[in-house]
Parts: sequence; C-alpha cells; structure tokens
Amino acid sequence: MANATPGAGTPAAASAAGLRVSGLTKRFGDRAVLDGVDFEVRRGELVAFLGANGSGKSTTLKCVMGLTEPDAGSIELDGRRLDALRGQALVEARRRAAMVFQKICLVPRRTALDNVCAGGLSRVRGAGSVSPLFFPKDLREEAMACLDRVGLADRALDRAGRLSGGQQQRVAIARALCQRAGVVLADEPVSALDPAAAEQVMTLLVDLAHDEGLAVAAVLHQPDLALRHADRAIGLLRGRIAYDGPMSAMSVDVQEELYRPDHGADGSEPAGSAAQTPGATSREERVAPGPRPLVKGTIA
Amino acid sequence: MTAVQTGRPASAGRDAADRGARLPVPVDASRGRRFTGWTLAVTALVVVHVLAVQGTEFELGKLVDGWQGMARFVSQAFPPSFNWDKVVLPGLEATLVTLWIGLLGTTLSVPFALLLAILSSRTMSPHPVVYQVARAILSFFRAVPDIVFALVFVTAVGLGPFAGVLALICHNTGVMGKLWAEAMEETDQGPEQALTTTGASRVQRIFHASLPMVIPQFVGLLMYRFDVNVRSSLVLGLVGAGGIGLLINQAIKTFRFDEMVTYIIIVLILVIVVDQLSAFIRRRLQV
Repeated sequence: MANATPGAGTPAAASAAGLRVSGLTKRFGDRAVLDGVDFEVRRGELVAFLGANGSGKSTTLKCVMGLTEPDAGSIELDGRRLDALRGQALVEARRRAAMVFQKICLVPRRTALDNVCAGGLSRVRGAGSVSPLFFPKDLREEAMACLDRVGLADRALDRAGRLSGGQQQRVAIARALCQRAGVVLADEPVSALDPAAAEQVMTLLVDLAHDEGLAVAAVLHQPDLALRHADRAIGLLRGRIAYDGPMSAMSVDVQEELYRPDHGADGSEPAGSAAQTPGATSREERVAPGPRPLVKGTIA
Repeated sequence: MTAVQTGRPASAGRDAADRGARLPVPVDASRGRRFTGWTLAVTALVVVHVLAVQGTEFELGKLVDGWQGMARFVSQAFPPSFNWDKVVLPGLEATLVTLWIGLLGTTLSVPFALLLAILSSRTMSPHPVVYQVARAILSFFRAVPDIVFALVFVTAVGLGPFAGVLALICHNTGVMGKLWAEAMEETDQGPEQALTTTGASRVQRIFHASLPMVIPQFVGLLMYRFDVNVRSSLVLGLVGAGGIGLLINQAIKTFRFDEMVTYIIIVLILVIVVDQLSAFIRRRLQV
C-alpha cells in the first residue's frame, strides 16, 4: 500500500510555507541537539518527523513554540520571522502555531467545551477570561464549531477526564483549531493511544491539513503510520536532517538508519523501536546519543 | 529446553540440576560502610533520647508514688455534672462559639493563603524575588504560634472570640499557604504549558489550567485545616479568646472537675463531628 497522497498530490494552494526553519541550532552543554536544521512545512500538507529518541524532533518543535530558546537559526511562521520580534508581538506571531501534546494536557475537571474555549483565551481580555462562566457567547459558539469539526459536538458538556484517550486528543486538536492556528505542531500525538484511536487522530490531522489548509508537522514514532498518512517525511539523525522527501520514497535502509540504536550493530528494525514508544518517549532529550561518528553519507 | 533440543536422555537430571543451580554472590563492597552508618544512626538516636529523658525530668517512679493525687482528682471529676441550665447549655453555646472561631479563622484566611501560595510556588511565581519574599512571609506566619497572635490581638480588641478569629487567620494563612503552594508544585504542569503555547496570559493560565488542576487537593487541605483550627480555637479559649476552652479553664481554676469532664465530653463530640464532616466532603470530591 503506497501512500495515497504523496507530496505531488497536495492542493495547488498549498505551496505557501506555513513554517520555515533554517539553520536551527541548539546545544545542551557541549552536545549539539540540533545542528543546522533546515526544513519547510507548507500549508495543506502533513509532514511526519521521524527519528530515534534524542535525534532532536521534540526540541525542534519546542524551539518553534518558544518552550526552548534556540542558540542559532531562524524560524518563520506564516511569513513572519520570529527572531525579529519581541514581547507581545512575538506572542501574537507565535499564536499562529498550535501545539498538540503526547500527554494531551487537558484539564480533566473542565468540560470538553471549556477546554476548547481555553484555546481562544488570548482573544478574550478582562473579566470575561477569569472563569468559564463568563466566556463570551461567540467564543463558546466558535468552540462548539471546533468540537463539531473533530466529531465530538455531542460530548461538549462532558468532563474531559471522562472521555477516552483518543477523544481527549481530538478535544486537544479542537483547542488548537479554536486558537485559529495556521500551523499545528503535534509532538507524538498518538503515542499514548491504542491503534484504532491513533488511526482516527491521524486521519483527523490529515483532513485538517488537506481540507482546511493547515500546515501540520507531526512527530511520529511509527513509520507505518507515517507511510499511510503523511504527505512528506523528514528524518532526523543526531540533530541533522537525514531525509526530506515523500514518505513512499523512503527506503527501508533509511528507516533502519534513522532508528538504529546507538550502541552496537545488532541490526534492529524500526518496528522494534516503534513498539516501545508509549511511556518511554518524552525523555527523549535526556538520552545521550552514543559517540558514533556521523554516517550522513550512507543515507542522504 | 536445551535438553529437548539436543535430545539427550538425561533431560530430567539436567532440569533438576538447573533448578538447584548456584552462583557465587558478588562481594558487596559497601556492606561494611552501610553497617557502620546504621550503627552510628542508632547510637545517635539513643543519645538524643537519653538527653530528652533528662531534660524533661522523665521519672516513672514519681508517677507511681503520686498515684493518690490522680485518684483524688479523678474521683472529684466523676460523675460528670449534667446540670442542664448551669453546665450543659452554657457548654453547648460556648461550643458553638468555638466552632464559629474555627470556621471564620479558616475561611477568612483563604484569600491571603491563595495569593501567597501562588506567589510562593516555584511553578507559578512571577519572579524569583517575589517567590523568596512570599515564602518568607509564609514562614513568619507559620513560625509564630496562634496563641502568640491571640495575645497580640487581645491587646488591640480585648479578650473575646474576635481576637481568636484574628489569630487563627494569621496562623492559618501561613500553614495553608505553604500546603497549597506545595500542592501546586506537585500537580501536572501539562495544561499550563499547553495554555502558554496558545498565547494565554499568566493570569489566564492560573485561572484555566493551574487552579482547576489543584481544586480537589485545595479543598481537601482546607477541610483538614478547618478540623485543626476548630481544635486550635479550644486552646485559644484557654487564653481568653472565648468559646468552650474558656469554660474548661474556669472549671479547672474553681476546682469544678465534674463540670470540666462534661465540657470535655462535648468537645469530644464536636471533634468527631467535624472530623466526619471533613472526611465526607473529601470523599465526595474524589469522585
């Protein structure tokens, strides 16, 4: 089964870059987690980020979201360069990107609707933003529409904690929509979900990219999911781009290289590293890579 | 397994040997050090307890010699006095005052405790300096006993329940602020981080992520503090803050030990009721 929509199949209007990153570099101590990363995510496409733990996928997303400061490089969101902006202007520009987390990060005691409304808080000021009781009507109606878009309008008044994992992740995606983001960054959005829920969430993300023209970047640990859903794949290996092209054109050799364990050459396959993802994933940055030299020539 | 694969007839004997197999245990280099450590810790504990026994003039012989004194005291205390007009009714009325002191002391300290808790929790404090200052304020209110606050307020507002309420507000702000700050530091920061990425302001993040995440813990701690404060207000009554503590004090001073026992029975019932109530509310919150 080849990818249904490889890069060429995306709508023509999708050529505009939602997110453009160039020369992104980040060091923790003397270890370069990101070493001159360049890539682009266009509107209307879903790009899968693949790579072993510690390859720099999550750090890349965190730099874009401002959760980590990069040491060098530029980030362009919807045509605006973030490094040129400061203070409130930077917050405004960053609001064009929304993040979807592996740990979902909803408030379990609040209703699904209130959680979605929270995505639009930056548009509400003053007393209206203190309690869900005072949320303006138009925000609540917009949030309802976002919930409807992810297929959960009928669960709007249920507490988020009562929904299943897959439903919660869809509520989190609705929150991103309510933020009116043009770029969605998903950090292992389906790692904590069962296969059926993962499939549903991935389908939703692809639909949002293709139908609503969002630029979606998703860190995935399952190459087969990427193969089925992503328009394009970017492979990261020890902080550098090792592959950038259609997922269907990514050879098994490349996949093996991306996921090869750092210690020993015991010929592991990517499926093995994908199977162990739940739970062990968010510690990515703390896992030190082995001292092996770069073998860039073998893949790119 | 291996025996089956090689097909040797001695498979049964081999399995048995596997089950009884032994391996030398590696030498644990730190064992001696750990033993020394434990010995030192136990010795130190014994020494401080000996010092404590001396420091408190702890002497069981004295207790045995003086048993008649206790017997006389107890014989005067029983049976308790159940005179409705002179003992039970005033006792119940005073108990209500004690309850009100504990209630107001708890609820009126909520705004101060909440503000200081937010400022002094590592995860929510706006600035390291603010964090340190807020922590210092909480430490001060915690370090000064409520009874000292009561004596200070008595000089301003005179003897009575009002001074007790003010004292409890001060002390409870310190304790509850600290407990709440710790609860906030321990909760999942995910939703707060998620709201940061949506561009929500600090105040919005507090009201829509941090606080809703900690409400169950907050209310649980609040109920616990209510329970403690009702008992504290008893002690405050002993120094003149009113309530049933005052009646107990008066009963002792006038050698009416039978009345004292009646008041203690009333207090016992009050404490059980408050404890049950707070346990009930905490249970309901967890669902």
